[in-house]
Amino acid sequence: MRSPSSLKKEFLTKWVVGLRAWSSSSKEMGLLERKKAIKLSADVAMAAATNGTTIWSHTLINNASKDPNSKHMVQSILTSARARDQSNEPSKFPLLSPPTRCARNRVRSKKVLRKARINYIQRCSRRSAASLIAKTLVKKRTQVLKGLVPGGECMDESCLIKETLDYMISLRAQVLIMQHIAKVMELFNSK
Amino acid sequence: MNRTRPEMLHCLNATGNLAAATSREMSVLERQRAVLKWHQEQLKRRQQRHFDDLNVFSAPLLAQNINGLIDDDGSGLNEILTRPTGMETGRPDFGSKSGVILDLDHSAGHVNASSGYCLNFAISGNINFPPTVVAAATQVNTAVGAEAKVREPTTSERLSVTTGRQSSKKRKAEKSLPSEVDEEEDSIVKKIRGCADEEEPTNSDQHQNSNKNNWNNNSSKNKESNGDKSNREASSCTSKGNSKASAVQKPDYVHVRARRGQATDSHSLAERIRREKISERMKYLQELVPGCNKITGKSGMLDEIINYVQSLQRQVEYLSMKLAALNPSVDVNINDLFAKEVSPACLASYLPTMGVSPEMASQSYLEYNPVETMGQVCVSEGVNLVDASLRRSMSPPVSIPETLLHSSCFNQIHNSLPWELDLQSLFSMEFQQERPINCSLADLCWPY
Repeated sequence: MRSPSSLKKEFLTKWVVGLRAWSSSSKEMGLLERKKAIKLSADVAMAAATNGTTIWSHTLINNASKDPNSKHMVQSILTSARARDQSNEPSKFPLLSPPTRCARNRVRSKKVLRKARINYIQRCSRRSAASLIAKTLVKKRTQVLKGLVPGGECMDESCLIKETLDYMISLRAQVLIMQHIAKVMELFNSK
Repeated sequence: MNRTRPEMLHCLNATGNLAAATSREMSVLERQRAVLKWHQEQLKRRQQRHFDDLNVFSAPLLAQNINGLIDDDGSGLNEILTRPTGMETGRPDFGSKSGVILDLDHSAGHVNASSGYCLNFAISGNINFPPTVVAAATQVNTAVGAEAKVREPTTSERLSVTTGRQSSKKRKAEKSLPSEVDEEEDSIVKKIRGCADEEEPTNSDQHQNSNKNNWNNNSSKNKESNGDKSNREASSCTSKGNSKASAVQKPDYVHVRARRGQATDSHSLAERIRREKISERMKYLQELVPGCNKITGKSGMLDEIINYVQSLQRQVEYLSMKLAALNPSVDVNINDLFAKEVSPACLASYLPTMGVSPEMASQSYLEYNPVETMGQVCVSEGVNLVDASLRRSMSPPVSIPETLLHSSCFNQIHNSLPWELDLQSLFSMEFQQERPINCSLADLCWPY
């Protein structure tokens, strides 16, 4: 497990690199565009600052690199990482297409699941309604969580929880750094 | 019983005679003696229905030996093969197996596979183990480098049919045969233990693996307490003992201990492993998410987790919006920011004006420090701070009114107190300004 300070440092440096890449586009950006650019570069930097073993980071980077506007930014972040860390493996994030099969599988299996569910309920009529309710609750919530975590659609439950853990940690670090930067900017502005 | 011994000796002597290297010969003799001893003990224990562990040692060694020998000379194999058939005439359950062996030999022509079976018959003799030991032996053969991999599942399946005494765990062991390649002794022991019948638990110590000792103690305890079927135990090598093997093999071969009174079906075992994994990870999550110590139950925990992740994501959105508002150019020159203007004195003066409690001030100050050191480490370059401030001063009328639109939304956000204070102090003077209210923008930015 990386130390949190190293994670924050990496995130910060990569974020700065990404932000600089935007300025090279020489386009006058409105507030919303700027906000999107900042957020996107922050997300990609966060994903790149991790070890590269998690699914959500790969999904984030792949999604970002699909968009033509942000592709060069992603490239710059990844190349800067490579240039800096000679010892690390060169491509922690090979730009490959994310698994698209899982979404289709999920849709298909929904019908199967529904039928199996009905059978199951008919068979286990002895079981209390409370357990069934609990199960449906848990299922619904895992669905919501899958929607929240990037790339969560294609994960089973245990994997999902692990990814959520990692994602939460990196989100927290991201929020902390962005808070600091924002405070510093305010200070600077107030002068 | 007496019949077996001379034949065993003969068999082993035959193998010994075939040995080319002297070093191998010596070890063969040692092994032979070990096997003999084992066999005697085995027969002694037959009445008590205990199984000794020596066969485990001898099985792989002998298998290797036989394999090595047979590679040199195939004639000895026939001798070995003929022996067991004569040996087992008194035992009906092996009659079919000998037939199987002969079938194998004739059809497959694979020396190694059949040698494994010979090994099995030469050693295990009377026990209900045969399918698993065969499986283990064949697995040993594969580990040694034989080519019988393809044959193994089919032959072991055939054996299972003939014996008709298969438990789900035995099937499991057989299925996992092709995947295991390394650490033959460990894995053989595991498999044999995994397929141990409740009547014959192994109770000798395995000095090679301390985990097996635990298993032994447990098995003996269980045997004393309850000889019922519910006490059937799978091998329980934990990850410590298994780390070497599992590092080489696929990770999906898991050893689980079946507890008393619980189902021992392979499906339910796998289910239980899965559940334990999930609950362990939920515990980590409980520590991470603030305020989850009291909540028990999966759905409540999931709810909290979802709320937390959502709040974190919203915070990121809000912060990015804030930064976009503060800085008209996306290029943030953080190095200059830190190097020049920001100092601890500024921070200290800034925080009290916000009305933040001293605890929070110290906390944020501490948090600021690593950021500052970072800035000093980075090389300063690029746009001057003054230029940046000039640009900013020129464009505030444009940027700030837009940000004010969201001030109403900010109150709804699940944010901590300092943020609200931040906003109010920043934009308090701008509240009087006239601004075009565009609700669609707010909807765009805050889709949640």
